[in-house]
Amino acid sequence: MEISLPETCSAAAVAGLWRSALPAVARLGRGDTLELDAGAVGSCGGAGEALIVELYRRSARQGFDIACRDGRGVVARTLELFAVGNFAEDPAMTHPPRKTATAVQVGEAVVGIWQTICEQMAFLGEATVATATLLFRPRRLRLRDTLLHFERAGIDALPITLLIGFLFGLIVAFMAAATMRQFGVEVYVADLISIGLFRELGALITAIILAGRSGSAFAAEIGTMKVNEEVDALETLGLPPVTFLALPRVFAATLAMPLLTIFAIGAGLLGGAVVMAALGLPSTVYWNRIIKATTLNNVLLGLFKAAVFGLLVGLVGCAQGLQTGRTADAVGRAATAAVVGSLVLITIFDGLFAVLFHVLGI
Amino acid sequence: MREVVITVRDVDAGYTTPVIRGISFDVYAGEIFVILGGSGCGKSTLLKHMIGLNPPLAGEIRLMGDRLFGVPQEERLRALRHFGVTYQSGALFGSMTLLENVCVPLDSFTDLPREARYLVAEMKLELVGLKEYADYFPSDISGGMRKRAAIARAMALDPRILFLDEPSAGLDPVTSAELDRLILHLRDTQGVTVVMVTHELASIFAIADRCVMLDKQEQRLIATGSPAELRDHSELPAVRAFFNREAKNPS
Repeated sequence: MEISLPETCSAAAVAGLWRSALPAVARLGRGDTLELDAGAVGSCGGAGEALIVELYRRSARQGFDIACRDGRGVVARTLELFAVGNFAEDPAMTHPPRKTATAVQVGEAVVGIWQTICEQMAFLGEATVATATLLFRPRRLRLRDTLLHFERAGIDALPITLLIGFLFGLIVAFMAAATMRQFGVEVYVADLISIGLFRELGALITAIILAGRSGSAFAAEIGTMKVNEEVDALETLGLPPVTFLALPRVFAATLAMPLLTIFAIGAGLLGGAVVMAALGLPSTVYWNRIIKATTLNNVLLGLFKAAVFGLLVGLVGCAQGLQTGRTADAVGRAATAAVVGSLVLITIFDGLFAVLFHVLGI
Repeated sequence: MREVVITVRDVDAGYTTPVIRGISFDVYAGEIFVILGGSGCGKSTLLKHMIGLNPPLAGEIRLMGDRLFGVPQEERLRALRHFGVTYQSGALFGSMTLLENVCVPLDSFTDLPREARYLVAEMKLELVGLKEYADYFPSDISGGMRKRAAIARAMALDPRILFLDEPSAGLDPVTSAELDRLILHLRDTQGVTVVMVTHELASIFAIADRCVMLDKQEQRLIATGSPAELRDHSELPAVRAFFNREAKNPS
């Protein structure tokens, strides 16, 4: 059997030989001779060198001889540079694609969840201690950072909050009116919108916006700082990262949420008004029903829930940021985990509040 | 006559305003060419123009006769094939092993079967002395090893030119000397032309054939020659201060 190497042994030129010649080489055995013609080779790249090494490796493994015409010494130079013995194993076998058994993946996921819970609890403890410390030393709170994050999480989020609140009110009013009209009670759409937005949905939709917009940003910012060793720098300066990085963000989110919720509710009520006006209900009747249906209880409960949701988004975002790994993809995972974790906790707490308020008769 | 692989003509380097103006030089095949100068003089900016990350504000750069800017995408891709780059930090992909990092360009730009790509990647790692670490992740190895792995990745497609941005930055003298030896080894065995940005005098004297020196004050290229020529024969105060490690404002 004979293999002639091309003048330029580039990857493009050698790829065909790998596919056409090597299966035939696999059939050679002791007593056979492979004639390797490298006389025309002018330049030899990594792929050409790899082919030469592969042929000599197979020769050693299968026992056939190689008669080489090596005009310009390319083969000799390659074998001098890369000892064939160092490449005795099949690389595809030595480095199989990373596959993990399903059972192992499940086990790792369970351990991962447990570790996350432990880390979140540890962070919660640290944040509580740091907040308690602030009561005695309020100047430790970085007020300028808190205001900056308040601006980013709150004021900068106003346009999207107003838009979604307005559309939400519009959709709810339209769907409710379509059904209630059949019974001639479309005037009560105002009650539904008022109670729904003030007590439940206003805080919920704002919390979802905050989680997606600011919770992920908190995790990504702090995560990137961790990758850049800025968090390490804070620790060695004696500045607790929780106080320095997390608390301003948590406070900002907690303060911003009730205010954003008020705007979201206002926009939602306006959306409802547009639908009701379009359906022919006088706006004075609509706003009159809204005022009658809105109780102080509902307003305060909604704002209380909003503050708690803001706290949760801030805590989860910062915790995920501080628990980020050292790689770029870890930052992405932290941002995703911050959003998912926030949404899960918001839903759980919303359910708990519903039961609690029902039991308390509020 | 020596083959010119890089031509830099009347280049103004900078992002919005020129940091350095009117740079012209040639780099010849097989030489180790160093761009040197003090901090902030525009070395890395010029390198970014040369490797096609940012267009120069004026002038022209050709690699093996091809331009990277103002040309159709196919020509730009052909020009990109001429060189490999290693960055200060190594810039390895953190979620991949060293072998997978070296395989990335091979997977994307060659038609080789998988076992061939693996073997080529292993041989590139062998070339930089990291074959035994093929299955390690970048986070599991030292800074010097990361830089060597980055060189292996940059060499994956057999480029004619290898650009190195501050290869010795953050390395101890022994590791730095090992890296210098590796660069010489690559030049001698692979015939690659090396263009290096650095201000490490030890590395410059150990491996550089020729250098150009940029000056922040004068905003231009102030000297060209071998390191020994610049050190021993230059009359320019900035060059003498650089090579003799003299502070500008000694206290």
